[in-house]
Amino acid sequence: MAEARRAPGAASTVAGPAHYEEIDWERAARSSEFHELERSRRSFVVPATIFFVCWYFGFIILAGYAPDFMGESIYEGFTVGYLIALSQFVMVWVLAGLYLRRANHVFDPLAKRVAEHTPGAEAYTGNGGASRSAAAQTAGTGDGQRHEREVTS
Amino acid sequence: MTIPLADVNVEALSIFAVIVAITLGITYWASQRTKDATTFWAAGRGITGAQNGFAIAGDYMSAASFLGIAGLIFLFGFDGFLYSVGFLVAFLVVLFLLAERMRNSGKFTMADVLSFRLNERPARVAAALGTLSVVAFYLIAQMVGAGALINELVGIDFSLAVIATGAFMLVYVVFGGMLATTWVQIIKAVLLMAATVVLSLFVLGKIGWNPVDLFNRAEAQSDDGAAYLEPGLRFDNPIDTISLGLGLVLGTAGLPHILMRFFTVPDAKAARTSVVWAVGLIGAFYVMTTFLGFGARALLGEAGATGGVDEAGNLAAPLLAQEVGGGDGTVGGDAFLAIIAAVAFATILAVVAGLVISASGAVAHDVWSNVVRKGHDSEHEEVYVARIAAFMIGAIAIVIAVIGGSDLNVSYMVGLAFAVAASANFPALILALTWKRFNTTGAVTGVLCGVISSIGLVLVGPDVRSDPLIELTQPAIISVPLGFLGCILGTLLSKEEGKAERQFEELHVRAETGIGAEQPVDSAGLTPRPRRKVPAGATTTLRT
Repeated sequence: MAEARRAPGAASTVAGPAHYEEIDWERAARSSEFHELERSRRSFVVPATIFFVCWYFGFIILAGYAPDFMGESIYEGFTVGYLIALSQFVMVWVLAGLYLRRANHVFDPLAKRVAEHTPGAEAYTGNGGASRSAAAQTAGTGDGQRHEREVTS
Repeated sequence: MTIPLADVNVEALSIFAVIVAITLGITYWASQRTKDATTFWAAGRGITGAQNGFAIAGDYMSAASFLGIAGLIFLFGFDGFLYSVGFLVAFLVVLFLLAERMRNSGKFTMADVLSFRLNERPARVAAALGTLSVVAFYLIAQMVGAGALINELVGIDFSLAVIATGAFMLVYVVFGGMLATTWVQIIKAVLLMAATVVLSLFVLGKIGWNPVDLFNRAEAQSDDGAAYLEPGLRFDNPIDTISLGLGLVLGTAGLPHILMRFFTVPDAKAARTSVVWAVGLIGAFYVMTTFLGFGARALLGEAGATGGVDEAGNLAAPLLAQEVGGGDGTVGGDAFLAIIAAVAFATILAVVAGLVISASGAVAHDVWSNVVRKGHDSEHEEVYVARIAAFMIGAIAIVIAVIGGSDLNVSYMVGLAFAVAASANFPALILALTWKRFNTTGAVTGVLCGVISSIGLVLVGPDVRSDPLIELTQPAIISVPLGFLGCILGTLLSKEEGKAERQFEELHVRAETGIGAEQPVDSAGLTPRPRRKVPAGATTTLRT
């Protein structure tokens, strides 16, 4: 099964990543499905990145230029600076968790749709497990419905 | 200052021996399964997301994090904690921008992604240069640190300690490849987390379960008084603080040994899951560095300004363990010290193994197979060359560390490795993945600008010269923009390449969707359960 998924002519594995001539990449890149995936991903990643860059570098700049403010005690030696530092940990965990959820529920189904609409690429749905999707393809008629639920949810 | 642990620590050596025996057993198991290039470089892409999360944590948290950060907090208070925050926030860059794209578009090395749609040979050479520069500084710093630490903690000779560390590292990589390296890293991560949790609980117990009181007691023990809890003890130049933050956050996303880990999982979904696991583990660890660092100050400070801790602060955590275990000479104290020493040793082994396999990838897969042999050699030859390369790289690192000795100034080297990664590798990679116009000239000039500017700035800076030409210890704030500028100017000032334009869509669609991504090899037998090899075909029949 592993062999069937390899590109024809990609027998040698010392070269770089396999090249798939049979897939029309330009058409895939122009497709509305791909644009929707990009839009969807960007609508999360761009604001999240702006937020963490501001929050983190705000912290670093305050540490550099306002040591007195950062050293102010909130409660018995627990300082403003330490509180902001701890908030960075919470921020990373929350953003990582949100990204994971969004990617699993929104980005992956969209990526799968791009693959389904790209001739020659139906078998390669790398996000979410090619082996799983290959197994699903052999699983029979129930697969279509399950897949639709995934996309709409 | 005399070192309080002059004699050979038998308890620590016995725990070392147990760890080494287990990891060598795993290496033997892995070597039986390492038959092809995909297993050697990427563990057959059969590592699960959670396993890879532990392995990333094990690959990333070096002795510099475990002992170094605890020491920096012990010495400089708040400024030490700045490192902890930067090391963690960095993973958001990895998660949002690189982890899935690397898995989808790459194969074995960072250069596979960089050269995907560029003129392959120059782009691979540039990526190999970036990889080898980062690994060189990182590896030498780790080896010298390992020698010094084991010397101080266990009492064996510096050179012997370096050679032993290097020898185990080489056995893991040469015989066990990525599969053995991964499991060494997973075991190390578990040991490190467990030891840190236990040590933190002991510290909290000692101070009456009131974390806030920790700060008061630490402040009371510090000669710097209130300034100990404020920023500015380590960095008096605010630009240095900001530059450090930038270097840590972008550097992690350019560390070749971390990026290589994403090729070991079956798909992009597992790559992202692994970053989230890693973020959980690494974050929890760095929160606990508070208890180690401030705890060492609060509890050891009573014995004087240094409390017996060395100048670099590396002994803060081990001595803290000894103190909370009951003190010097007690059974509990000595046992706890021995455990922490053994965990530090495991920590170093896991990181150096990861570094060596990524460097051997740059030499064997990038330079040998795809530049020298132009992709015409066999998989067998590539793995053979990789083993020789790993052996040579390891041997060179051992020789430099032994000749340089424990006096070799390595304090700036890990920072420099991050700066090179942030200035050379990160700009070229991210632009190759996202900027259609980007071309080979841009990649080569960008990597060169990044490598030369970051190394150059450190060479003329206060860490190396007594009469520095520039008052900046952290180069990232200048070298990262120079790296990007090199990429952009190199691209815009050179002719557009037909090939690059034609293939950007393939890279772009593949990176975002996983269409065409490299598939895992049949993963039968790639879990570490000691079971009999399943006959070929048995798993495929189960599937249908």
